[in-house]
Amino acid sequence: MFTSSRQSSSKASTSTTNFFYTTPPSYELSLEDFESFALSRLIVLRKIEELKVKGLDRNQYNDALKRVVNLQLPSSGPSPSAKKHNEKRDLASHFILRLAYCRTEELRRWLLTQELALFKFRLEDLEKRGGKDMSAFMKNAGISFDKITQDEKQSMQSQLRFNMSYRDFEASSFYRIPFAEAVDLIGRRLVHVRAGMAYVPGGKLVSIICARFRSHLSRSLAKAAASFSHVSSDTRIGPLLKNMNKQYTGRDFGKQHTVEGDMNASNVDEYAQRSMPLCMRQVHDGLKKDHKLKHDGRRQYGLFLKGAGLTMEESLLFFQNEFTKIMSADDFNKNYAYNIRHSYGKEGKRQSYTAFSSTTIIMGPRSNPSEVGSHHGCPFAHSGDASLAALLGKMGIGGKDRDDIMAHKKNKMYQLACAKHFEVTHPGAAKTEGVDLDGVGNHPNAWFNSSVQYWKNKEPAKKDMKGKINTPMAKVERAVVSPGSGTAKEVV
Amino acid sequence: MPALQESNAQKRKPEEVMEKPPLRSSTASIPISPYETSSSKAVTSSKSSSGPQQNAVVFSPELLRIYYDRLFPYEAMYDWLSYGVEKDFFNRREWSFTIQPTPEDEIYIRYQSFKDLEEFKSAVIKRQPNKIDIGAVFTHQPKDHNNLSKDVFHTEERELVFDIDLTDYDGVRTCCSGANICNKCWKYMNMAVKVMDEGLKTDFGFNNLVWFYSGRRGVHCWVCDESARTLSNDARSAVATYFELPLENEEKSLDLNTSLHPMLARSFGVLEPMFLDHLVGEEGMGLLSNQEQWVKLLKTLPEEARKAGIAAELDKEWTKRDVSPADKWKMLKSRIEKETKKEGAKKQRKFKGDESERLEMWPIETVFRHTYPRLDINVSKMQNHLLKSPFCVHPKTGRVCIPIDVSKIDSFDPFNVPTLPQIVSELESYAKENGESKNVPDWQKTSLKGSMQFFLKTFLNPMKNEQRKRRMEEKAKEEAFTGDF
Ligand SMILES: [Zn+2]
Repeated sequence: MFTSSRQSSSKASTSTTNFFYTTPPSYELSLEDFESFALSRLIVLRKIEELKVKGLDRNQYNDALKRVVNLQLPSSGPSPSAKKHNEKRDLASHFILRLAYCRTEELRRWLLTQELALFKFRLEDLEKRGGKDMSAFMKNAGISFDKITQDEKQSMQSQLRFNMSYRDFEASSFYRIPFAEAVDLIGRRLVHVRAGMAYVPGGKLVSIICARFRSHLSRSLAKAAASFSHVSSDTRIGPLLKNMNKQYTGRDFGKQHTVEGDMNASNVDEYAQRSMPLCMRQVHDGLKKDHKLKHDGRRQYGLFLKGAGLTMEESLLFFQNEFTKIMSADDFNKNYAYNIRHSYGKEGKRQSYTAFSSTTIIMGPRSNPSEVGSHHGCPFAHSGDASLAALLGKMGIGGKDRDDIMAHKKNKMYQLACAKHFEVTHPGAAKTEGVDLDGVGNHPNAWFNSSVQYWKNKEPAKKDMKGKINTPMAKVERAVVSPGSGTAKEVV
Repeated sequence: MPALQESNAQKRKPEEVMEKPPLRSSTASIPISPYETSSSKAVTSSKSSSGPQQNAVVFSPELLRIYYDRLFPYEAMYDWLSYGVEKDFFNRREWSFTIQPTPEDEIYIRYQSFKDLEEFKSAVIKRQPNKIDIGAVFTHQPKDHNNLSKDVFHTEERELVFDIDLTDYDGVRTCCSGANICNKCWKYMNMAVKVMDEGLKTDFGFNNLVWFYSGRRGVHCWVCDESARTLSNDARSAVATYFELPLENEEKSLDLNTSLHPMLARSFGVLEPMFLDHLVGEEGMGLLSNQEQWVKLLKTLPEEARKAGIAAELDKEWTKRDVSPADKWKMLKSRIEKETKKEGAKKQRKFKGDESERLEMWPIETVFRHTYPRLDINVSKMQNHLLKSPFCVHPKTGRVCIPIDVSKIDSFDPFNVPTLPQIVSELESYAKENGESKNVPDWQKTSLKGSMQFFLKTFLNPMKNEQRKRRMEEKAKEEAFTGDF
């Protein structure tokens, strides 16, 4: 409860973020952050939706929500830079989803409902921390209310004091608010109403602020919807925005939860032959050929391997084995080991990065085939028709199977092409017990997991299949592509 | 009952419905309610305790035709529902007609709209609706709703409306049930109107509101302030639930807090005297007038209090000597007060905390259970909810839905409301005595005169004046802004 909202604290409390989201961020965001931020928020919002139907009591709900918020969208951090990063994630992800979810009435309503629940959770948390934080938050958000004078309060005492102890009444400030802004309190008869104005004690302002946030967000969504076609015409972020609500948040590849298989430095080759989607297979084979991998490829492949269960130590070992074929172990340690440790969260910001989704790879930078070690990107999206057809042929995929994949590619349905690739290399997978095809085509690690499940099931036939698939990967032809900058500008 | 529900007719193609001319045969009869004998061609008045016109014809297509030709206040309705705003405002209002082309067939036509007074008037005269409902003002004229997507075609505003019906009082009234009413149970309506009228004006600050008799067994309230018309559905729900108490379940406690909300405290002040005047005595519901009844009431005391012998003691005393019902209530209350007062130096209560609280609140809960307004709140919650138009004639009773003067609500008698045959014969008598005077509006020749004058003087004209004043102020502001400096 805060008795004086007017106390002007010269320095705003450090633990108050502006989650009222009045101003969109003006900084640039890498495409990778763009997607990973949005995913973090999606995970939280979907969790809220899930928790609400569980019929939990208030404490259980708050505890469960707190856990996922602290994990995905923490508002503070152990250091100033981590805190800043987290605030940036929170702010950017809100505006990204606002844009991604403004397109239809249904999406808008969904976002509004979940965002409001998140807002309320945070505001109540803030309120528990006391008046100073709350005042700072309101000041930040530009919210002020008409406080009644002490004389008015005393003269209205008999009406204002219901349902309140004498001490609470004495300690409370009351605010005069148009009743239409206090519908929640009016509907539950929790406040006095006179001549169209609700008299709200300070302790009940949370409800009013929530209502303001709701109408603020609702209006903003309507406005965003009007300008959506303009923003979504951007070829890089447009598809991301349009597919956001279908984004895969089922599993978080990279946090090493449920992973199939027992990958280590010595069997990566074997897994690459049997269970990697084309994008990873391409990087893997490129690495084997060049003994070198440019930054984008290392990130794409390194995080994928991490998501596939390769530990940091094994990952260091695996890359070292390849790289040291053309450089010294010292050079490798000096120039590359740091990045690998970093991606496992053992360096720098100590943030654990997650593997790229298919959308990230498709929208991400293209490789430059004329450069040694440049093998990243999505072969379905980034390669020319002829080179993809040739590549498939060299992998033993021909006839109708190849035609089907090529048809998807020509229709720009890259993820369908990828799923088709899975289908033709894993015959009967849909009917195979224990194979979860959810996410194949949406995430390379889902592709991988499904494949490992499949082969586990076909274990007796493993040897035959292995022989068949183990065609040596010929030189990969690459399409000539223009390098992308990987930055989404002024998105929101 | 106001209609959101889809009737069969709605599922038909509107064009089909529109093409079908209403039947005007003089032999047409209307389905008769189960309470009435079905031999009559036209509708006769239903059972009533004070109906002088028992079994007289109260409603027929011929009478209705005269009413729509000469008496229905088209101008006033048009004036009202235009609110003096933009030209197409009236045109975007949804109307629905219930027509009866054959006695077995009732057709409900939604999404009608009329561009002006003439179109409205001629549609009513052509269709001869048994019932007219008024809906919301939409973004486009409702006629076109089939050609527009839901994103584009939606409600824009609507009066805040309330519907109170005596059928919702069947759990407490002992005189009648269902569609029947009498002067005893009509008192419930008086109580409800007083509480609601005060609450809407004092608490919410609404000025332009008007109450109507629904034509049979209830009342409607139309709140027409701009601030009310533009309320969102959420805000409407909030206002409705603000006034709502969970009275539909007789067993369920109202869970009143000892620290009553100011609105409930004020309502108790209004309702308790009416409870004593109209419900406890022999001439009312007799809640405390004979042993059978008071025992029933005493049984609703909290269990602990009954165990402690309060009920038995009072029963004994009331049987022993003659105590008036009002005095019984006083005794009951002071007895409860004594039991719940904190006693002695230790300030100990006789009963456990919540038990004592329930006992303390029992008199209030009892008064509310018997008197507090029982709203059909679904009518109020949504913009897109139809409600019967004022000045309709109820086909079952023949009574006109006239406005109710809240300041004289105690003397409002539903059995004195003008009926269709009555006003038509008044027209005839007037013509016999004074000739067909064209200078006098027809309604002034009938007993609708008082109602119409009340409607114009206390509702429509003040509202129009307010609108005019506001427009002038806006204009002045605009001129000050664009004028020379
Ligand atoms: Zn009755």
